[in-house]
Amino acid sequence: MSNKSPRPVECGHVPLQARNVSFAWEDTPLHWVPGDPFATHTINVLHMLLPAGERWFVHVYKQVLPLIRDERLRADVVGFIGQEAVHSQAHDEVLPHLRKLGLDPTPYTAQVDWFFEKLLGDRTLPPGRARRWWLLERVALIAAIEHYTAFLGDWVLNAGELDRRGADPTMLDLLRWHGAEEVEHRSVAFDLFLHVDGGYARRVRTWATAFTAIVFLWQRGARFFMANDPTLHEGRARLRDFHIAGRRGTLPTTGAMLRSVPRYLSRGYHPSQEGSTAQALAYLASSPAASAAEREGR
Amino acid sequence: MRTPGLRTAVAVAGAALLARRALRRRIEDSPLWPLPALDPPTSGRPRSRALRLLVTAHRTVADGVVQLRLAGERLPTWEPGAHLDVVLPSGLVRQYSLCGDPADTSSYTIAARLVAGGRGGSRELHEQVVEGMELEVRGPRNRFPLVAADSYVFVAGGIGITPILPMLRAVPDGVEWRLLYCGRTRASMPFLTELAGDERVTVVAEDTDGRPDLGALPVPAGAAVYCCGPEGLTAAVEERFPAVRLERFAPLADTGEDRPFELELRRSGRTLTVAADTSVLAAVRAELPDTPYSCAQGFCGTCQQRVLEGEVAHRDELLTDTERADSMLICVSRARSGRLVLDM
Repeated sequence: MSNKSPRPVECGHVPLQARNVSFAWEDTPLHWVPGDPFATHTINVLHMLLPAGERWFVHVYKQVLPLIRDERLRADVVGFIGQEAVHSQAHDEVLPHLRKLGLDPTPYTAQVDWFFEKLLGDRTLPPGRARRWWLLERVALIAAIEHYTAFLGDWVLNAGELDRRGADPTMLDLLRWHGAEEVEHRSVAFDLFLHVDGGYARRVRTWATAFTAIVFLWQRGARFFMANDPTLHEGRARLRDFHIAGRRGTLPTTGAMLRSVPRYLSRGYHPSQEGSTAQALAYLASSPAASAAEREGR
Repeated sequence: MRTPGLRTAVAVAGAALLARRALRRRIEDSPLWPLPALDPPTSGRPRSRALRLLVTAHRTVADGVVQLRLAGERLPTWEPGAHLDVVLPSGLVRQYSLCGDPADTSSYTIAARLVAGGRGGSRELHEQVVEGMELEVRGPRNRFPLVAADSYVFVAGGIGITPILPMLRAVPDGVEWRLLYCGRTRASMPFLTELAGDERVTVVAEDTDGRPDLGALPVPAGAAVYCCGPEGLTAAVEERFPAVRLERFAPLADTGEDRPFELELRRSGRTLTVAADTSVLAAVRAELPDTPYSCAQGFCGTCQQRVLEGEVAHRDELLTDTERADSMLICVSRARSGRLVLDM
């Protein structure tokens, strides 16, 4: 039951290219959404998941290059790999700063490292069918995860409430530069999945795995940060706080998250129907970090 | 329908309640149960991180030379010979050798000469950077490390004294060293007062003493020779002491011509020639089209490959010194000598 019919709705093709950004964290406070440790830490979970997660994307995609028979898709995947590699490095650089502020994320990140490097790693498989099956399974997992990174990218580009609450400008630039690149390359992972396999059963199966893993790791990360924040007494993360933050606009709403589920599972789904490339490129043109990288020609 | 469910429902609800209580107790005991941790962890140890440092001193220490003190907290440590990448206000990135005390983790000291007709970086550092300003830096990184040797000979030309200065202090007691410090005029040579009175230092100023005589420099057997200075001086020293360790002012990419070299790909059993105007990556892709790469500018790290033999001229801005010992980014780096062997 393969599903290769959906066509992109936007046809303007943007060549993907990694941007060599850098961020200095000295001035960023622990609660960079002022007075809102829960929203801060829920978003901070990204810094713990993405370094290992996006390194894993790169690791998997390096292996899938020989399976690509379409030159344009290959160019997209090549650009995608570089963007993901830089995302992973950029989020990794936040972690020493959190440690300096008294919130050492290592107990949690070491588990995320295990999750991506061992559990989802190459495994001890002989060359041949089993290896190929596991590679395709991971390509499909990445396509499902990218549905959510594009969703979050689109959310953060439009999260005006964070600006109104005076969130730290460096952190906002990191999140929006990253979010904009996720929106920019949102179709690549899904197109690659369609190109190498595209089976609907696999799409559903890997979506369920990815969604469960994301929810499990995210709530656990938020609880870890709230419990270990040195400035909070008995800090806790509750589901109720998430609904409240969503209504306030400092996190995505629960409804929007749930509505994105059937969209990915619909047979007519294509990522180009989500988010706006024009908005992403407009942000990248004005982002302090991305435009500094542009100026240096790097 | 008889009440098939009632007893079952009670049993299921009871079991669920028990399970929930057990799970909750387990999580309270150890909140990150049950995932194992990777040992050693990989995340949270970035290769380098950008630092925003405060310029707390900006003073002229010789004709056309300014010295800057950049203050921060718990700065990464460095070894003599290391440099910083400094992001200037315009966005230009320039490298400056660290010339302060490696034990000081609250500030970095750099010095720079104003280059007339240079690429603009030194003018900006002299004229637009002022005390109280914040500068973004990356590093430190060391491409010019001090290796253990029986004795040392240092040759510095003008501002080339900056990486040498911390080396002099780091040479262990009892190990002999000599420094030949040349410049145009004494007034233009920084740090003369700090070096004055040491009989191991020979100062040669061109306007009074003429050109330095490298032939007269005594170099004992087993000595390591270090040189940092303008192109003319480094070339002269390299001619006389081919084993010299050099630090050039301009990055290698801007000096010296790219030369063709032989490249062996050992695992796939191929040998090819990398022409002067192509990158290793382009040459390899012609043979192995599925070679991973992405940015092609030396920052994303996708094309990193293991080096089995040959010396590499590293031109990337990503790899750490340890990674550079046995790998390279094939998109920008080349062979230093005539041959390179990669594990691919």
